[in-house]
Amino acid sequence: MKQKMDVLQGTLALMILKTLDVLGPLHGYGIARRIEQISRDVLSVNQGTLYPVLLKLEQEGAITSEWGASENNRRARFYRLTRDGRKQLQAETRDWEQTAAIIGRFFEVKAEDLS
Amino acid sequence: MRSLRRFFTRLANFVTRRRDDERLKEEIEEHIALQTAENLRAGLSPAEARRQAMLKFGAVEAIKEDYRAERGMLFIETLLQDIRFGLRMLRKSPGFTAVAVLTLALGIGANTAIFSLVDGILLRPLPYPHSDRIVYFGWMDKQRLIPDLNVPELEFCRDRAASFAAIAGFQGYGDQELNQDASKSWVTTAFVTDGFFETLGVNLQLGRPFGREFTRAGGAFAAVLSDSLWRSVFGADPNIVGRQIVLNNQSYTVTGVLPPDFKYTQPADLFVSAHLGHSLGDEGLNTDVIGRLKPGVSLAQGRAEARLLGTEFFAQASPEQHQGAGFLHLDLLQEYLASDYRTTLLMLFSAVGLLLLIACANVASLLLARAVSRQKEISIRLALGAGRRRLLQQFLAEGLLLGIFGAASGLAAAVASLRVFVSAIPWDLPSIDRIGLDSRVLLFTSLVAIAASIVFGLASFLQTRKLDLNSTLKDGRAVAGASRGRVSVLNSLVVGEVAISLVLAFGAGLLIESLYQLHQVKLGFNPAHLVVMHTPFTPPLASSTANVWDFERQALARIRAIPGVQSAAIVSVAPLHGQGNLPVQRENHPEDSIGGTEYRSISSNYFSTMGVPVLRGRVFDQSDFASSAPAAVINETLARDWWAGENPIGNRIVLGEYQGRQYLQIPQPALQVIGVVADVKGMLLTAPTPAMVYVPASQGFSLNGSTDWVIRASAPAGIATALRKAITDVAPDQRVTDLQPMTALIGASVSQPNFEALLMGTFGGLALLLMLVGVYGVLSFQVAQRTHEIGVRIALGATRREIWRLVVGRASKVAVVGVLIGLFCAFGLTHLMASLLYEVRPTDPLIFASVAVAVLFVALLACYLPARRAMKVDPMVALRYE
Repeated sequence: MKQKMDVLQGTLALMILKTLDVLGPLHGYGIARRIEQISRDVLSVNQGTLYPVLLKLEQEGAITSEWGASENNRRARFYRLTRDGRKQLQAETRDWEQTAAIIGRFFEVKAEDLS
Repeated sequence: MRSLRRFFTRLANFVTRRRDDERLKEEIEEHIALQTAENLRAGLSPAEARRQAMLKFGAVEAIKEDYRAERGMLFIETLLQDIRFGLRMLRKSPGFTAVAVLTLALGIGANTAIFSLVDGILLRPLPYPHSDRIVYFGWMDKQRLIPDLNVPELEFCRDRAASFAAIAGFQGYGDQELNQDASKSWVTTAFVTDGFFETLGVNLQLGRPFGREFTRAGGAFAAVLSDSLWRSVFGADPNIVGRQIVLNNQSYTVTGVLPPDFKYTQPADLFVSAHLGHSLGDEGLNTDVIGRLKPGVSLAQGRAEARLLGTEFFAQASPEQHQGAGFLHLDLLQEYLASDYRTTLLMLFSAVGLLLLIACANVASLLLARAVSRQKEISIRLALGAGRRRLLQQFLAEGLLLGIFGAASGLAAAVASLRVFVSAIPWDLPSIDRIGLDSRVLLFTSLVAIAASIVFGLASFLQTRKLDLNSTLKDGRAVAGASRGRVSVLNSLVVGEVAISLVLAFGAGLLIESLYQLHQVKLGFNPAHLVVMHTPFTPPLASSTANVWDFERQALARIRAIPGVQSAAIVSVAPLHGQGNLPVQRENHPEDSIGGTEYRSISSNYFSTMGVPVLRGRVFDQSDFASSAPAAVINETLARDWWAGENPIGNRIVLGEYQGRQYLQIPQPALQVIGVVADVKGMLLTAPTPAMVYVPASQGFSLNGSTDWVIRASAPAGIATALRKAITDVAPDQRVTDLQPMTALIGASVSQPNFEALLMGTFGGLALLLMLVGVYGVLSFQVAQRTHEIGVRIALGATRREIWRLVVGRASKVAVVGVLIGLFCAFGLTHLMASLLYEVRPTDPLIFASVAVAVLFVALLACYLPARRAMKVDPMVALRYE
């Protein structure tokens, strides 16, 4: 369980950052819903696993949080991207694209290309 | 950056104990509420909507845990928890804790104390700058460095060597009379050549070291004062440099003052310039030669040059000038000074290491035994989902606690006893004052404690690996038959303990036997009721033999008049109280000459006072003292060496002659041998008796500037004051030193073997004690484990005797295996300590046998109580317990 989390955490964090970047401040449930929608329900993690990652990002200073009112008018914690978080997102996006491009090229390589 | 920020936030959370579990709880509730609402909109029933929301959210407790782990320092939190729990466990079984901590304290304390010695003497550099460049010269002969050079060799090397910044000689210590402002005091003087302080690299706090002009025979003398003498006698006079002081009626120019903490091998009040000439002492191997290698010159380069210099010296010197054998060699001064103690220290260090091993085995077996009673607790933990890692952490924490308590108590014991311990060390070393607990010793202790803790933690943890949850929990009690694995672990612990304690006990046995042999050494005289004292002559007295003999005769008459004194005599050097030798040759027989023949000038009744048997001829009588006819008495060894079997009486010997050359400045007439007496030990108890020549004190000359007195009295204890008075009545200024019973002198000469035997005896005894406790613990545990089985046996008709045999038989088999392994190891190890033994072979079969029996006895003693307990098992109780 724990080991699986470690692998997921990196990508999950990136998804959270991107979601907050695109949609602005959101509460935990909102973030979970958006991630589900964007990943077209392919990715189904337990929604609860989000919260430790949110805390981690907050302790790193990538996001901040404050109390606000939810849709059904109750207290909910809203998360917002900080300037540090935006920079982190940009850096990680670049890294991600780079990695994806390299992996992509590996898959496209045919035997004759290497001769 | 980011992870650093995260770390500090977590640290802050941990320190401030921030626990906003409320926030997460609220967030989760809201999350689930929102999801439920969503599900309701999708058309689910309210109950199903909430259920689905919960499912989608996941295991709330697991998430809370992850959240908490993210927030604070989980590792430290659980560690603190483990430590708290460990403390509780230790408090719950005070008996176990006390035994374990005491055992460890013993092991760690002994290790700390001995490591302080090893560190101070072998590891830490000498207290001089760049002491790794200070070397000691000697002749290397048959793999052994023979210390001391003669003065021509010293001068030859000093004047030619290129690898050395300085080379200097040291000619020992002596007591001299310091005349200062009409008051007299006795000071300890060291005789050194120029370059001595430069070689050691010591910077004087005032003035400078003396130059070579002060070491020429016939020239002036110079002195460098110690800080304490400068302060006590000269009132810390800042203008002391250049002043003249008077020592033994000889004037010395003060050239400098040493820094406060300077010491060579022994404390000295001042260092004076030795005059290098061609005296008897200078021609003999009597000068310690030290040198300082130039920066950048390696020890190997220095050695190569020394070897070359030795060969060159040999080529140019006349044969009798070359007294060394083999080739000229260097050792680091530190290694040379420690060489006599290296074996002892390493032996002691290994001994305490082994002791610690036993202590650890003991605690490990206790823990192992206890682990069984904790099986249920651990099974429950595992069943509740404790990870193996978490269990390991908990066991390590418990081990760490034991280790810390053990180390702390051991350290406290070592600190408390170290001063006493160090003062008992009979060695002269520059570093002895610095032996103490410093950071390295503390580091060593902590390392030992941590290593021990890990061993304990792992030992307990490994126990849980094979734990079968089902059966343990179902049974509701510890598994009846101990598993085969545990039995073998426990047995091998017992085997190890028995084997190691045997090795230690055997080492101790050898040293004790050696000490016993030393006490059995034939002294050659009767030490009972014998008192010895020493009188270093004041300068005017020492100037002539007639003066000295006059003083001695008068003082002897007064001493003999003291009530209780049976007889009294003088001898220039009493047995075991030093040496005084010179070359002696059989007249006209250059092949019969000995460079260092012990020379004793005595009064007429010396032999009768000491109880030395006369073997041939006669000893001196009054007529020999009255006449000037030169006569000598020789000892058995000399008679055997030169006249093997023939009668030496009537033959003549020449003092100061060696292989045809006369070394004395004022040649002495040849002496006629008038008698042969039995051998009396020389300076060392352990060395074979040297050749010895006795002459009447009326004719003799003083080699040492002092004489010893031997007094046989019916009640030696009460006559000290009377003896001193007898001396000062004749010569008011005369000093009396070293007044002591002969037995004390003998005791001092065996102080090193005594020290070794005492320590090793203690360690051997402790090893046996620990082994006793360990075997007892293991066996008690095993008997307790088998209570049920034993009950069944008794119920089925086994007699007490059979039960006894069952328990003791199995234990003794294990013990015998331990003894055999121990004997095997001891056989391999003890030859390393051969150099510490006197008249005992390292494989002495009698000691082997007796130690083996003793160890076996202790092991069986440990079985006694558990076996009795087994015999008293009440079958009814044992079975009902099921």
